[in-house]
Amino acid sequence: MNEHLTNGSSQLPNSHENYQKSVSELEELRSLLLGIETSKLNHIYERIDEIEVKPEDISKALPQAVILRTMQDKQLSEAFVPTIEQAIESSIRKDFNVLSNTIFPIIAPATRRAISSALGEMIQSLNQTLEHSLSPQSFKWRLEARQTGKSFAEIVLLRTLIYRVEQVFLIHKETGLLLQHIVAPQVAMQDPDLVSAMLTAIQDFVKDSFHVQKDEMLRTLQFGELTIWIEEGPFAVLAGIIRGNAPQELRLSFKNSVEKIHLRLDRQLNSFTGETEVFSEAVPYLEDCLEARYQIPAQKNYSYAYALAGLITLVVGAWGFFTIRDQYRWDAVVENLSAQPGIAITKAEHRNGRYIINGMRDPLAVDPNKILRKYHINGKFVNSKWIPFVSLEPEFVVKRAQQLLKPPKSVSLSFDNETGTLTATGSAPKKWILETQRTWRFIPGVIQYQENNLVDLSLEKLNTYRKQLEERVLLFENGSTDLLPSETSELPKLATEVKKLLEVADSFGKDVKIQIIGHTSITGGEEQNKQLSQQRASKVQDFLVSQGINKANLKIIGVGSTESKNKQDMTRARRISLKIFIENLK
Amino acid sequence: MLQKKVCMVGSFATGKTSLIARFVHSIFSEKYQTTVGVKIDKKTVNYNDKELNLILWDLYGEDEFQKVRMSYLRGSSAYLLVVDGTRRSTLEKAFNLQVKVEETIGKVPFVLVMNKSDLSDEWEIDIDEINDLTQRGWNIVKTSAKTGRGVEEVFQTITKKMLEE
Repeated sequence: MNEHLTNGSSQLPNSHENYQKSVSELEELRSLLLGIETSKLNHIYERIDEIEVKPEDISKALPQAVILRTMQDKQLSEAFVPTIEQAIESSIRKDFNVLSNTIFPIIAPATRRAISSALGEMIQSLNQTLEHSLSPQSFKWRLEARQTGKSFAEIVLLRTLIYRVEQVFLIHKETGLLLQHIVAPQVAMQDPDLVSAMLTAIQDFVKDSFHVQKDEMLRTLQFGELTIWIEEGPFAVLAGIIRGNAPQELRLSFKNSVEKIHLRLDRQLNSFTGETEVFSEAVPYLEDCLEARYQIPAQKNYSYAYALAGLITLVVGAWGFFTIRDQYRWDAVVENLSAQPGIAITKAEHRNGRYIINGMRDPLAVDPNKILRKYHINGKFVNSKWIPFVSLEPEFVVKRAQQLLKPPKSVSLSFDNETGTLTATGSAPKKWILETQRTWRFIPGVIQYQENNLVDLSLEKLNTYRKQLEERVLLFENGSTDLLPSETSELPKLATEVKKLLEVADSFGKDVKIQIIGHTSITGGEEQNKQLSQQRASKVQDFLVSQGINKANLKIIGVGSTESKNKQDMTRARRISLKIFIENLK
Repeated sequence: MLQKKVCMVGSFATGKTSLIARFVHSIFSEKYQTTVGVKIDKKTVNYNDKELNLILWDLYGEDEFQKVRMSYLRGSSAYLLVVDGTRRSTLEKAFNLQVKVEETIGKVPFVLVMNKSDLSDEWEIDIDEINDLTQRGWNIVKTSAKTGRGVEEVFQTITKKMLEE
């Protein structure tokens, strides 16, 4: 047609016009016959000529295609996995900052969640251990832990377990060789290579023994609380060892894992010749199967039980406290009474809230009721029976001697229980000495009487003491109540002599009054001297009282210089002197 | 880690189990053989500085009451054909077993293990016969379960054949 057109145009202009007309007519006819515009037809021809698919076309269809396939199943996602992994690898090799910056906002919360989850598990485990540590059940579990050699926490976890996948095996179907194996923490296990082979052998054994269909397989093995679930793929099987009752949803999880492993490692599984290293890539899929679920203990309201237990504890505690306290008190009473001289305990019991105490008691010994009161034990609850006896302990012999002999205060008595000797020391009137020599034999326990150190006193001696004291003077400084330095040491001597006199007088039953007379020299005014003399007498009196002499026996008087007129020596005039009055003794 | 499945077959009482007992890691008792028909052990072999785990399927010895379960042979990379040197009949049986095994799993490496070599007085297999088999390309190792002689050689030989083929 083109050739015809070229030839025509060079020869005749009219024929060219005719040609143009015929072409347009032809196109019109074509359009009427086929119903397609020429431009569209040309476009179709172009597409047929260009067999290659244009990227522009794919880019239009791809998003929708991806969405559609993703909605249908997971195969497209699984297919993308190796490509995406390679892309990530390349990206990291190229510049790892790009990826790390991109995923940083995800990593931080994910890390936090992982830590929180791990802590949660740890707390749950701790809670379970604590919760069961004091319950009656716990004692049973403790016993079990001891018998099995496992830890208590392990037994608690085991017994509160609903189910737990303890081990997962990935086994090559044809050879029975173990491709990969994972185990939950704290699970005891046998050699997984051998277990894997034996599981395969058991499969074969069942197939051989029971003539099952070729494509059928043993899917469950159950032994007590242990179940083995087996999920089959074209080249490998997944076997999960489960303790407890696992839900059927877990099977789906197993199935998913087998499918994913086959999708990812299809080529390696198909061409397996014994090298297992490559199957470490299956670990994440196997880990998805390691599930566990524990009992969540119901929150029970134990308020009444706790209150009752608290009350019982309080009552028992109080009863225990009072019982122990009373026992301690009773023990202290018995101990104290046993240590008392003149008391010998033969029976002491605390029975049914009553105290029983029997024994022997010297009438001179301490009153047992006094000891009971001291330790706050009510006498109403005490049954006591005391048999009187005479104790030969020295203090009791002495007491009896004092009761019988009534010695004067100047006499002291002692008793040596080894030799049975009663000894009297000190001074006593002749009359008492003679009386004692006759009566000491009546004192129980006394075998001998010894009076070598007893001084015989007579009224003359008492008189002599009096005269000696009345001759004594103590000299003072001029115009002062201070003794002369040379006289200071005389004051204690004076006190001793006064005491001696009083003792001797007492042994005769005589009342004594001692007059301390203060003097001054003749110098100075008389009024002033009288006052000073009284002060000097008072000072000596105070000293004697301070030495234990009864003030009632003393009397002071100040005479000033009235008795010093004839004293030429002024020093000897400043003094005190004593005047002693003894009842019925001149 | 490289792993291979290796089966041990032979007549009843050729001493298969006793032969390897001292040389392998085992967790199963011998009663598995009489119940399930197989006992599984593991032997780690070092060959050319490479460790290899042999998972040994010790199959119940064939007798008039029980046949070897051929399904257990599936997936074997090699097998050990064990005979009792003091019983000529066990060698005949081994020939039959070898044919059966080959029919089941195809041509894979194997070693003919002549056990009880310590009982030389009771030996019933001619040296000529052994030589014939060697000339046919069979690998033959004489062993003694009593002394342990030849056992390591069996494992080394079978490993070598598996890795070289």
